[in-house]
Amino acid sequence: MISRKIIALFLLLAFGFQATFAQELPRSSESALDWLRKMADAPRRHNYSGTFVYYADGHMETSRIVHKVDQISEREKIEVLDGSPRIVFRNNDEMKCYLPESKRIYTEKRWSRKFFPDILPQPFDSIIDENYYVKEARLERVTNHQCQVLSLTPRDSLRHGHQFWIDVETGLLLKAAVVNGSEIIEQFAFAQLKIDGEIHPDLLKPNLSMAQEEWKVTDLITSFLNEGELKWQVMSLPVGFRKLVEMKRNLAERPTLVDHIALSDGLATVSVFIEPITQDSPAPLPGFFTSRGAVNIYVRMLDDNKITTVGEVPLETIKLIGDSVIKKD
Amino acid sequence: MKSKVSALMDGELDQRDVSNVIEAIRKGDDLQEEWEAYHLIGDTLRQSSRLSMNISSSVSQKLKAEPTVLSPNISTTEKKLKRRLYAFSVAASVIAMVSAWLVMQNLHEPQRIIMAEQPNHNNTLSIAPIVGSSPPSIHNYPHPPIEINDYLFVHREFSPGGTMRGQVTNVNSMTEYHERYGR
Repeated sequence: MISRKIIALFLLLAFGFQATFAQELPRSSESALDWLRKMADAPRRHNYSGTFVYYADGHMETSRIVHKVDQISEREKIEVLDGSPRIVFRNNDEMKCYLPESKRIYTEKRWSRKFFPDILPQPFDSIIDENYYVKEARLERVTNHQCQVLSLTPRDSLRHGHQFWIDVETGLLLKAAVVNGSEIIEQFAFAQLKIDGEIHPDLLKPNLSMAQEEWKVTDLITSFLNEGELKWQVMSLPVGFRKLVEMKRNLAERPTLVDHIALSDGLATVSVFIEPITQDSPAPLPGFFTSRGAVNIYVRMLDDNKITTVGEVPLETIKLIGDSVIKKD
Repeated sequence: MKSKVSALMDGELDQRDVSNVIEAIRKGDDLQEEWEAYHLIGDTLRQSSRLSMNISSSVSQKLKAEPTVLSPNISTTEKKLKRRLYAFSVAASVIAMVSAWLVMQNLHEPQRIIMAEQPNHNNTLSIAPIVGSSPPSIHNYPHPPIEINDYLFVHREFSPGGTMRGQVTNVNSMTEYHERYGR
């Protein structure tokens, strides 16, 4: 009977420890989530034009943005002003990316890329509250606009934290930071901005010299697949992640199609690419790689395929996802 | 030789020596133990939840040493069996408790550290994600695969962030992984 008492004691201890150490973050307040909804809607309600800065790893890059919205369409032009020029035109979900130096154009029809400051999924997805504790932090002034600062604290170690500076009047995102504890990993911020001004349609068209010259156009064709069509599967998705879409796509200059699974936790996204290794392709290099800012990369082999996992999440999350890819029977 | 084993573990061994040392470890039992001990030490230092302790040999030895009852006396062995089963179940539940407690300790370790690390409560930055499992083996590749740029370009369409093709030129192989994740 003594052993039963010991067991009971252990049980008590175990629960006691759990109660002591589990410090659950509370649900996010409705008013904080309302700020996120307002922020997600703002690009559909307001014209804006300005200059924003991207900063990560001691590297800074300036871009110019023009954004025009009306009842029927949403058009945008983003021009990277530093380094080699890149100009992206977007007309609803069609995009064209011009690379003037190499005279190339990349096009895609069902383009769902998210650019700063329009970074939240549409429609607003409450999964964010499941993965992040959203809190109204303070008021701060950014490019002469009064902003509500929101902090998004991750509920586990599978994702990074975020901070948003939201224009009180229009709900537009004027500054955003990805953080790891108190360390800023990358940030975007407007340096100059005009909201709700008239935008001349010519500002959203390629200029004449671009239209006249000979450019090589590459269509990044994608075919979206139905559930189960892909022969690959991410066996166990980490907590809070959902599958967005599965597709086959054509990467630039590559003869074979690449399988692509896109995952999201409402804010951070992870892509899994699966590509067969052909004889003439370079020997794959399994391992971990980093890019600028919050992006981590993990390459592994499975039979004669190379699985590359890419995302703005901690390396551990990338590895968890990359390792759980299996081939369906 | 021991220092070479340690160098091999840290990935600092000269390429020419690697195969010799691995062969030596395979042949020599004491070097094998050394190798396991180093891993155990590393995992303990990292507070890894997956200790690379090799218990298979001791378990199989215990199993071998277990006497086999050839002519069982039904009435007494049944009692014995019951008693043994009960003892086993008690032992198992105690082990389960202890390991559950250990796992919980491990799980909640990061949060405790976070509480200690938060210097300013008005500073509303997020919790530091702390990773606690053993790092996989990392190799140092001087030339990262070029096609990663294609992947990054395509990936970003679903992502927040304005990184475009051409910006992601500094793809680094993750050599500092050891430093960041505790080795």
